[in-house]
Amino acid sequence: MLSASPGTLALLAFLTLTGSGYAQQSQQVFPLPEGAYPHDVAPAPDGKVWYSAQRNGALGILDPSTGQSREIKLGPKSAPHGVIQGPDGAAWLTDSGQNAIVRVDPQTEKVQVWKLPEDTGYTNLNTAVFDKDGMHWFTGQNGFYGRLDPSSGELKVWKAPRGRGPYGITATPEGDVYYASLAGNHIARIDKATGEATVIEPPTKGQGARRVWSDSKGRIWVSEWNAGQLGLYDSKTNAWREWKLPGDKPQAYAVYVDDSDIVWVSDWGADAILSFDPATEQFTSYPMSEADANVRQILGRPGEVWLPESGTDRLMVIRTARQSQ
Amino acid sequence: MIRYLVATAAFLPGITVMDARADGDPVSGERVFQYCYSCHSVQPGETNLQGPNLHGIVGRRIASQEGFSYSPALRALARQEERWSEALLDRYLAAPYTAVPKTSMAFPGVKAQDERADLIAFLRTMGGPD
Repeated sequence: MLSASPGTLALLAFLTLTGSGYAQQSQQVFPLPEGAYPHDVAPAPDGKVWYSAQRNGALGILDPSTGQSREIKLGPKSAPHGVIQGPDGAAWLTDSGQNAIVRVDPQTEKVQVWKLPEDTGYTNLNTAVFDKDGMHWFTGQNGFYGRLDPSSGELKVWKAPRGRGPYGITATPEGDVYYASLAGNHIARIDKATGEATVIEPPTKGQGARRVWSDSKGRIWVSEWNAGQLGLYDSKTNAWREWKLPGDKPQAYAVYVDDSDIVWVSDWGADAILSFDPATEQFTSYPMSEADANVRQILGRPGEVWLPESGTDRLMVIRTARQSQ
Repeated sequence: MIRYLVATAAFLPGITVMDARADGDPVSGERVFQYCYSCHSVQPGETNLQGPNLHGIVGRRIASQEGFSYSPALRALARQEERWSEALLDRYLAAPYTAVPKTSMAFPGVKAQDERADLIAFLRTMGGPD
């Protein structure tokens, strides 16, 4: 079992006064086992944090209170891309190496594997989300999206309109499911009754919609990789807005909306994390632990924004303390 | 099938065989290419994906697609190794992050040697270097 020593735990802390209304933030960095390559990250129910150790074929578990981490192997040829927490409190991984959905029970650490149907072929599984009814929806970057019913084990896979590209996926508070198509340059809404996906075009052509995240109002925020923009789609008005990230050559990879509806974006062009306050339309930049940190996804829980640094084998957390008004 | 015949022939007197794996099977390699398909095209001129176009990659100059934003790691490799030889491709495909530390390609690699040989055989059929 691989582990990282808490003795090497590094702490970067500083105070900032920002346009987003946050009075104080601290950034803390946690080293992981060498070669972990944390692609995605997800807060676990017990205060720990999971990460998909893509190159180690494992689910990683970090205890932030000690800095100790370890990994649970997921199976032969495993290369997990995404990890999320399910409504059952378990870790759910989209394992592109096994072409399977994988569940790890946090108590027993039992690993369950749902292989995609043979006739589907290699889907390049990417990211998953649970809707409010407990259904597990996922994307496959080779041109697929699908659904797993955890209670029955029924798995359905659909071919995506316009083929390859399905990447990030999100569910709104109302229960609607949207995914982003990176190669297809659009987002899509899945009709959960029929499984049909409807393409929704952002205003900027060839923008490279990479990931999506819903805010508390059900509006869809989009990281536009090619365009270096943050997009916003409001399904109620069918209206779009887009903001260019600061800097000379921004590349918006991951997007996440926290519990205060502040939007977080990873910018590979600037090697930084940006927060965006929709009220003021201001970006605030936070540095990563070193160059080429390559943050591919963002997730959090109240007061914490977690960032997997795939390029450095580290996790970073930004602790947000909301400014009293 | 070809690779098994060649491997068998290696034990026959008077027959010289270079490498039982060197040729690979391009038909099988096209299936292996599904690992790459979401980010790379082998169609000439198709450059709208996240990775560089791989048409004519075997023997091509490293990091040479005009307009593509290569990582600093790939640009550094281009200063050390001029072209994508089959041997270098094999090494890179086996463990990209080991062969080129800090490459931005997340793909963890093709561990099976025969799959890599097949993949390279497929790529060889997809045009020659410029």
